[in-house]
Amino acid sequence: MNKANRSTESASVNLSELLARVDHDRALLCELLSIFKREFPDQLASLQKAVAGNDAAQAARISHMLKGMLANLAVTKAADSASRLERLARAGEIASLGDALAGFEKEVQGLLPEMESYMAGARP
Amino acid sequence: MKILIADDDAQSRRLLEQTLERAGYEVTAVVDGRHAVESLSQPDAPRLALLDWMMPELDGPGVCRAIRKHREQSYVYMILLTSKESKEDIVEGLESGADDYLVKPFDAEELKARLRTGERILHLENRLVEAREHMRFKATHDPLTSLWNRGVIMDLMGRELVRSQREHGCTAVILGDLDHFKNVNDTHGHLVGDQVLREVARRLLLSVRSYDFVGRYGGEEFLTLLNNCPPASALVRAEEIRKAICARPIQTDAGPLGVTISLGVLLSSDWGHRPADELLREADAALYAAKTAGRNCVMQTKPEELRQRVPTPQPAGE
Repeated sequence: MNKANRSTESASVNLSELLARVDHDRALLCELLSIFKREFPDQLASLQKAVAGNDAAQAARISHMLKGMLANLAVTKAADSASRLERLARAGEIASLGDALAGFEKEVQGLLPEMESYMAGARP
Repeated sequence: MKILIADDDAQSRRLLEQTLERAGYEVTAVVDGRHAVESLSQPDAPRLALLDWMMPELDGPGVCRAIRKHREQSYVYMILLTSKESKEDIVEGLESGADDYLVKPFDAEELKARLRTGERILHLENRLVEAREHMRFKATHDPLTSLWNRGVIMDLMGRELVRSQREHGCTAVILGDLDHFKNVNDTHGHLVGDQVLREVARRLLLSVRSYDFVGRYGGEEFLTLLNNCPPASALVRAEEIRKAICARPIQTDAGPLGVTISLGVLLSSDWGHRPADELLREADAALYAAKTAGRNCVMQTKPEELRQRVPTPQPAGE
């Protein structure tokens, strides 16, 4: 787990929480990270499309999903950011969605490479 | 123990699956509410369910409502998984029929503790259902022979007579009485008498079809109803019953005892609209005729216009 430990310095992931959540099962951690890697880009693209198209219902649905995915992996700040997006979308505050999305994108920037490094460290 | 997980997020699903399998559960995972309802409605379905609140097709509360509609099925303990935290949401979830809720991301230990609560409730329900079934059995069956008791066999007779009339079918009513049973009790005592009655009941049940009814009508009297019985075969079937009783001695604490039965038979199709108790009196008269004819035989009764009491070709014993 050396690589993973090293990367906590700049990490968005609360690694100790994440490890506790998977009961220190490195194979499971790898599996969850690869599910995230596979699904996250599509979800993010769909969210961007929904915000661009002022589709508040769809934006709420996807940001809810992203919030859950990020919270499961203990990416706490980004999960909060997705939660904010969901709240705004549900309230129909379409005008605020663009800024909230930009905030969210900033939070998740560099997340996938970070996940990669955890995966490399977590592989049994 | 079996458990169902319904979550549209693959990652949550996998995490739950792994956590629960490790805790010893047998996990079924589905991706939406519609599949959850399908899975929970199967026979032998899981009775514990973890349902994500927001799912495509049907959400978690929708699944709870659908499952609670089917009251006849075994209780399913349902926990909603939610990231919603407002009171209104929680109230809505619980009022949809959920038993509990858990806020995501879940803590594994809390999840397992809440599931153990669910298991306790299900265990309690099992015990209540068992007790209810036990009471129901006691209320409808004869305690010695486990045949239908007098009240139930009479109700069944009334119902079968109405049904066979409506369907223009025929129910054979057979009233049987063990021959010289008093001697068994007087000579060998009531415990041996009870052993004889239990074995007679067993032989009666073996000699009829699974959808016929056999009840203990009185001390050593048994009432058998053969449903949808073609009139031509009723006497043959009654003979089979008679032979099943006397075919071989009954093993008792007092040694093997030969036992015979006399039977009075009537066919509901011969009697038109008559109440059950009137037909029973007729069957009793036929039984009396069988006793008079030497016992261990079958006598049929018919209404006046159809010639009364036609003896079977072979009365008397083996």
